[in-house]
Parts: sequence; C-alpha cells; structure tokens
Amino acid sequence: MSTNSTNLAEVARQAVELAKKQGASEAAANASRAREVEVQWRDGQLDKISEATTRGLSVQLYVDGRYSAVSTSDLRPEALERFISDSIAMTRALARDEHRRLPEPELYAGRTQVDLAIEDPHQAKLGADERQRIVRELEAAARAVDTKGAILSVTTAFGDVLRETYRVSSNGFEGGMRGTQFFASADVSAKDSDGRRPEESDFAVARFFENLPDATTLGRRAGERALGRLGAAKGASAVLTMAVDNRAAGRLVSMLLGPMTGMALQQKRSFLDGKQGQKVGSERLVLTDEPHIPRGLGSRLFDGEGIAAKPLPLFEAGVLRSYFIDSYYGRKLKARPTTGGASNLSWKLGEKGQAALLADLKEGILVTGFLGGNSNAVTGDFSLGVQGFRVRGGKIAEPISEMNISGNQMDLWKRLVAVGNDPFAYSAMRTPTLVFEGVQFAGV
Amino acid sequence: MTRRDFVGLGTAAMAMAGAGELLSGCATTQQAGPGGLGSGSGGPSNSIGYFARFGVTENLIRETLAAALSRGGDYSDLFFQHRVSTSMALEDGSVNKAFTTVELGVGVRVVKGDQTGYAYTEELTLDAMRSAARTAAAIADGPSRPGPQSFHLFKELPQRYALKVGWDAVRPEQKLPILEGLNAAVFKSDPRIVKVSLSFSNEYGAVLVADSNGRLVEDLQPMTHLGLSCVAEQNGKREQNGYNVSGRAGFDFYSPDRLDRIVREAVSRTTILFEAVQPPAGELPVVLAAGSSGILLHEAIGHGMEADFNRKGTSIYSDKINKPIAHPFVNIVDDGTNEYARGAINVDDEGNVPGKTMLVENGVLTTYLHDSISAKHYKVKPTGNGRRESYRHAPLPRMRSTYMLPGPHKHDEIIASVKKGIYCSNFTNGQVNIGGGDFTFYVKNGYLIEDGKLTRPIKDVNIIGNGPRVLEKVDMVADNLVIDEGGWTCGKDGQGVPVSQGLPTVRVSSITVGGRNS
Repeated sequence: MSTNSTNLAEVARQAVELAKKQGASEAAANASRAREVEVQWRDGQLDKISEATTRGLSVQLYVDGRYSAVSTSDLRPEALERFISDSIAMTRALARDEHRRLPEPELYAGRTQVDLAIEDPHQAKLGADERQRIVRELEAAARAVDTKGAILSVTTAFGDVLRETYRVSSNGFEGGMRGTQFFASADVSAKDSDGRRPEESDFAVARFFENLPDATTLGRRAGERALGRLGAAKGASAVLTMAVDNRAAGRLVSMLLGPMTGMALQQKRSFLDGKQGQKVGSERLVLTDEPHIPRGLGSRLFDGEGIAAKPLPLFEAGVLRSYFIDSYYGRKLKARPTTGGASNLSWKLGEKGQAALLADLKEGILVTGFLGGNSNAVTGDFSLGVQGFRVRGGKIAEPISEMNISGNQMDLWKRLVAVGNDPFAYSAMRTPTLVFEGVQFAGV
Repeated sequence: MTRRDFVGLGTAAMAMAGAGELLSGCATTQQAGPGGLGSGSGGPSNSIGYFARFGVTENLIRETLAAALSRGGDYSDLFFQHRVSTSMALEDGSVNKAFTTVELGVGVRVVKGDQTGYAYTEELTLDAMRSAARTAAAIADGPSRPGPQSFHLFKELPQRYALKVGWDAVRPEQKLPILEGLNAAVFKSDPRIVKVSLSFSNEYGAVLVADSNGRLVEDLQPMTHLGLSCVAEQNGKREQNGYNVSGRAGFDFYSPDRLDRIVREAVSRTTILFEAVQPPAGELPVVLAAGSSGILLHEAIGHGMEADFNRKGTSIYSDKINKPIAHPFVNIVDDGTNEYARGAINVDDEGNVPGKTMLVENGVLTTYLHDSISAKHYKVKPTGNGRRESYRHAPLPRMRSTYMLPGPHKHDEIIASVKKGIYCSNFTNGQVNIGGGDFTFYVKNGYLIEDGKLTRPIKDVNIIGNGPRVLEKVDMVADNLVIDEGGWTCGKDGQGVPVSQGLPTVRVSSITVGGRNS
C-alpha cells in the first residue's frame, strides 16, 4: 500500500476540504489503515494464513443544520468526489437538528503529551517463520497435558496488526494514532465419555509482543481448561455465592457500562438514569476510566470525536460518579460531555488472588465462561448462560455446564463482596476475579 | 465458540449486553444509497458486466489467478464485491441522521487440500491484486500451476430476489414519510409510549466470483431492514421492546399490512412487559411459538451441522450421520431458495448455486452443510453454504434459512397438553458451544402455561439446553410453519451473514429455564 502516515493526514484534510467545497458547513474526516497478518494452525499442519491491508475514510457532514455520516473504501478521486456530493444531496433531505454540530473546540484542549507506548517496533520484524513457530508451540503445549488421549483437535492462531488513524475536523482538531496488537490463542476440543466434545480456549492480546505469555504457558492452559470440562453436568437450581474469573468478568461489566451512555440516558433506555451520585453497588465497586495507561489496549489521547482523553471516575465505593456523554447527547441532555465511551478500566483491586477468594467463599460456583443471555438495559434484569465449576470446601470441584444465572443489576452489584488482585491483562476492561453473594442459579 | 476478536478486545467494550451474540436480532450494517447502482435485474447478462465499471477485465483476472497459483495451490478464487448501504434513523420525532457505507474490494483465496491462504485488496489494480494473490499463494509450496486461459460466464442462476424498482431509484424523500408515519402511529396507539426510534436501511451488493476453473458468476444482492424500538412508561416504570423486518426485497416490501404489523407488534410486545413476571428457575416443559423460535434449530443443530466443525471432528454431530436423533415427525431444512427472504441467495460466495438441504429427514440426520473445501473432503457436491461477510473474509460453511417442516399436531393441542410450563414467542439472541452442544436463546416475550392455558406474560429469560438432548425432547410439532420476517444476523469466526429461520409450534418436554425462584 502506497499511503503512509503523512498522507493519511493528507487524505483526511482533503476530504474535509472537499466536503466544505461541495456545500457542507462543517465536516470531520477520519482516514485509517490497518495491516493485519494471521496464521492459523490445526492438528499438525498450517490451516490458514491471511494477510491484508484495509484502508478507509469516514466523513461526518453537517449541511444546513442537517447531518449524515459516510464511509468508503473506494478512494479513487472521481468516485470519492461523487460520493461526497451525493451524500451532501441526501443530507439535505433530512430534518434539521440544532444539536448536530462538531464538538465545541474547547473540548479538544488539554490533550496530554504523554507517550502511550502502544506501538511495538517488533511488529515490523516479525516473519512467517516466527509466527509459525508460535502456533506450533501452542499446539504442542496444549497436547502435552493430555495423558489420556482425550484431545480431539487443537487449533492455534497468532496474529498481529498495525492500525493507524488520522482525524481532521473543520473547527480545529487534528490528531493521529498508531498502535500495534499481537494476538495468540489455542482452541482445544476434547472427547467426553458420553460423546460430547467440549471445547475450551486460552488467548492473549497485547500491545507489545513481549507482553504475550510464552506459547508453552498459553497452550498448556488451553489444554488444561479443555480437559477440565470433561464430565461437566448441570447442578441443582439454587441461590449460591458466585465467583467470576477475571477473564469472564468483562461480560458482566459490559452490561453495566452499556446503559451509561448519553444516548441510553436521553432515550430513556437506562436503568442508571437519574442514579448519578447514588449508591448502585457495594463499597468494593471502585472503577475509573483511565485512558493513559502505558501499553493499554484501550489507551488513547482523544476519543472518536477528538475530545481530549482524561481520567473519568465511574464508581467510587459503589456510588455512580459519571456517564459517558458525547457532544451530541450532551447538548440534548444539557450536560457537559465527558467522552463517548470507555478506554481502559482501572479497578481498585483487593488483596487476594482467586485461590484465596475461593477458600474464603467455601461453597458456591466459580463461573469461567458465559453462554448467550442478555441484560435488559432499561430495567437491569439479566439472564445469562454460565459454565464453570462447583466450589466445595473452598476448592474447585466438579465442572458444571448448562446452567443459568438471573437477577437484576441494581441488586447484583450490591452483592459484590470481594474483588481479586488479578486484573485480566488481555482486555481493556482489566477485570479482576469478582465474588457476588446470593445469586440465583438455574439448573436441574 | 469462544473466539478471538482483535477489535472487541481493543477497547473496553461499550457493547450493549446482548448485542454480540452468535445470532442476534439487532439491525446489522445493511444500508445503501447514492451511487447509481443498476436496478434489480439480478442475473448476469454479459461477461463481468457490472464490474467493467471498475476496470475489472478477464485479463486482470487471468493474471491474478496465475499469481495465486504460482506456488502450486489446488484451486483459487477471486471474490469481487461492491456494496453500497444507506440507512436513515428517526429519533425524537425526526429523521435527522443518515449513514452511507461503500465497500469495494477483492478477496483472493488459494486452497491446498484443506488449507487456505487468503488476502484482499481494496485497490483494483493489477499490481495490488497480484501482490495479494502472491500472499495467498504462500499456503502452498510447490511448482507453479497454470491459471485458466479462458473464462465462461455461468448463466443459469436462479432469480430469488428480482426487484420491480431498484433501490437506486428510490429517493430519500420517499422513505421519510414511512418513518414519520410509523412514529406517529406508535405514539397514537398507546399513551404510555415515551420514546420511539427507527432505523431504515437498504443495500445493494454486487458480487463476482472468478475461479481457477475459468468460471465467472455474477449476482446483484439487495437487502432492506426496518427496525422499530420503543420505550413505554407506566407508574414510574419503563420497558423497552421492538419489532423489525428484513428481506432481500425492494421498496414494495413495505406494504400497508407490514407497516401496520410493525407498529402493532412493537407496541404490544413493549406494553405487555409491565404485566410480565419471571418464570421459575429450573427444568420445565417449553412450547415454542411458530416463527422466530427457529432460533432453537439455528443454535441446537444448525451450527453443529456446518461441515467444517465435523471435518475437524469437533462437532457433537460428527458421528451421527444416518442416525436417528429426533422423533420421526421432525424434519429440518436449510434452504437458500425462499424468495425475498433475508437468508435467500441465488449463489453462495464461492459461486455455487444453493438449493434446499435436508438436515434431518424423518428424525434421521442426513447431511452436513458444505462449502467447497468440506465437499471435497467428504467427496460430495457442495450444498451452496459457502458464505462470507465480505471480500475481507474467506468463506465458511454457513446457514441460510433454517426451519422445521410442519408436523402432525395442532397448536391448541400442544398448549393444552402442558400443565405447568412456558410459551416463548419473541427472542433477541442465542449462542452455542459447538462441541459440547450446550446452547442458549433469550426470550423477550412469552407466557406461563398453567393447566393447559396461557396465563401471565413472562419476560427476559435465558433458556439453556444441550442440542442433541433437546432435539430428542421435541415431542410435538404443529402444522403451522412460519418463517420469521426479522433481521437476523449469524456470527461465526468474527463474520456476520444474514439468515432466516422458522418453526411451527413445537413442544420441548423439558429444558432449563433461567428464571428466578422467589
């Protein structure tokens, strides 16, 4: 691909100029490019390799008080010119909306100069041999834990990506970001005595190659997880203490954060509407959005609108402190914009690791994965499929599957009785192990 | 399946809970609009007619395929795609935002045995395409093989979504009154409604498959979707629900009847939630209403019948072909031929013409869903299930429209047969673990069944079961098959494709209901 960073900026600037020339009163453009490579290996042979460069341009158009957003991968000059003029014509057919404007320029101010350290130069040096070495080692490590011949199939993968974006807006914002990510995974399928073929996986994703676990450790964990599923059965319906392991806990957190957006509030689709300043969780729910964590998967200097990124307290001792409010819904709600969405989450961690937490809880269930389900954003009611293990006498006991938990989030988060010291490094949500008392499980 | 997703892990997901499931009722990315695309004549008329405007010629294809086979791959195909999607949204009473997306690119696939090399480019120049082809070629490691010297255009495509008027001929001004009319009708129908949001999208996709056997296949693929969501308030409580419709159809899809149904269903499904209770937790008999309950088949059997999982031996159905897995009155199909359905296709994304595939015939498991790689592996003909989200992805075996054929029982007879259970009529999403067979689907609306009668409404409950065990427990099937008109999207390996589903009224003798015990 011929375009480099400099001309990503150039592409964005030209798009803004073109939009203005063709009749937009204001415009913003994002030019982006990503180069990705992925190698997949299965049962002793290379299964799939893929490699691609994606490019894109998206433009927000403000025309006579009307708004539309467009994006295209067809960057041929004549196609782009026609695309923008057609889009402006379409925008003119829409209703006026006084709230549709670019963000106030003062929201762009105060961007930190800190180095986020999200681009690893090692990505450019990775070659096909190294990628294939990793996927082979992942498989070997996964199979090494299988002493009974229970493993049916192992699929491993390694991928890396370099993403670049540059945003320009007609009221004074310019900014770009470049970041790398590396990804490794092992999916292991095993055969149970009753014919079922449970599968489990382990994975890791990091900004820097050196922050991935070594292939042997990751592959072994995947194998152990899959073998741990053998003999899983559903238990009796009961109200029990639930520990959720750090990798799985993000599912619960995302159903809490979703209703915190300006759109959810303004559209009356949030059980957290009107709850700012109120206690919605236990003392242990202490959570900040922290955009400047070095090497953080969600780290950024500005958000999707160009608003300068700043730490944002979300929950303090269970009290809801802030919402995610972008400039459009901020105007509709007459509230000061914060940011449109989360970056990295920073948790106030507890003192103990998962094993110690399980020892404390004695009887209950450790949830290691969720399967389907949903949460009603308006009422907070949720119902989710789970799998994991019974905890007996403070220790992990038999595996469980085909069970479900249900409740209401306004109740659930008050039941958060312990937070682990083990944030999951391979997600921007960085969740530790979470323990909740008195959760309804459904099974037999 | 647990599956990696670079994008999803990249930021603290603001993902609305429930939006990211394997099968989700949410509106997808379909849109379309300006760009002067041809109207819906559908089938090809002359060699690479549509793509000639992008400078795609037989020579370009020949050179690219030659590069793709330069290291001895068995087979190669090119998947060209140009897709324009437009959507408009109504919020707070006015249509005040619109989105347009244009995708143009080509994916190059090289197959060696079961192995796949894949690359794509969004620049349709010889240099860029040849470079992508050389990347994909690296899956093989042998002497170069010649590409095709001549091409033949496949002309016998069926036409399952011919449009009277193409979307390019529909002005935004014609669409606005529909959205404004729906909004007004919703507010008028119930004073408890406090918010209405609507999204309307239309899409035109053109695809061209060119392969190393010299075959060229072109198709034009329309899609439209309309979703209505509303929030109601009563005694300080709020509830939200909605209704959506989708099909490979034109503007005439939005008939007065259908528009009335959208309003009626969205409002009644929302306001009934004020009276709804949580069912008890644990195992109960479950009756699934005719229609979108086909989500049961999609999750309980459809994914497990995709041949890639069976080829790897990881599906719970891997050793069950030709074996009875359900009562003899259970017949399940996966069908690409339902005219104008969201899951209809004239051709799959590897150039094969799909028909109707029996998955379960008289209770016996009959065949898997194949793409060309698995068909070759199993030495059968492809079933036309090789599908992909776009040129950015290699094809995989995927469902189209999955449904159960009518059975011997009557709807009323089934309800009357249940002493204490639940009736499920409306769903938001579902998910499955392919190998273990455990699957879920999320019930948004339904009723308790007490002494053979529907009594109190229920809401927000996840049902969890195990595919083969639940199929054995399907012990009554009614004669009232309905194929749902909703906008379902199926996710697998990070790729979403449009699908349809259907079911007659069905009884499952027992399954775990994720309710609450007081």
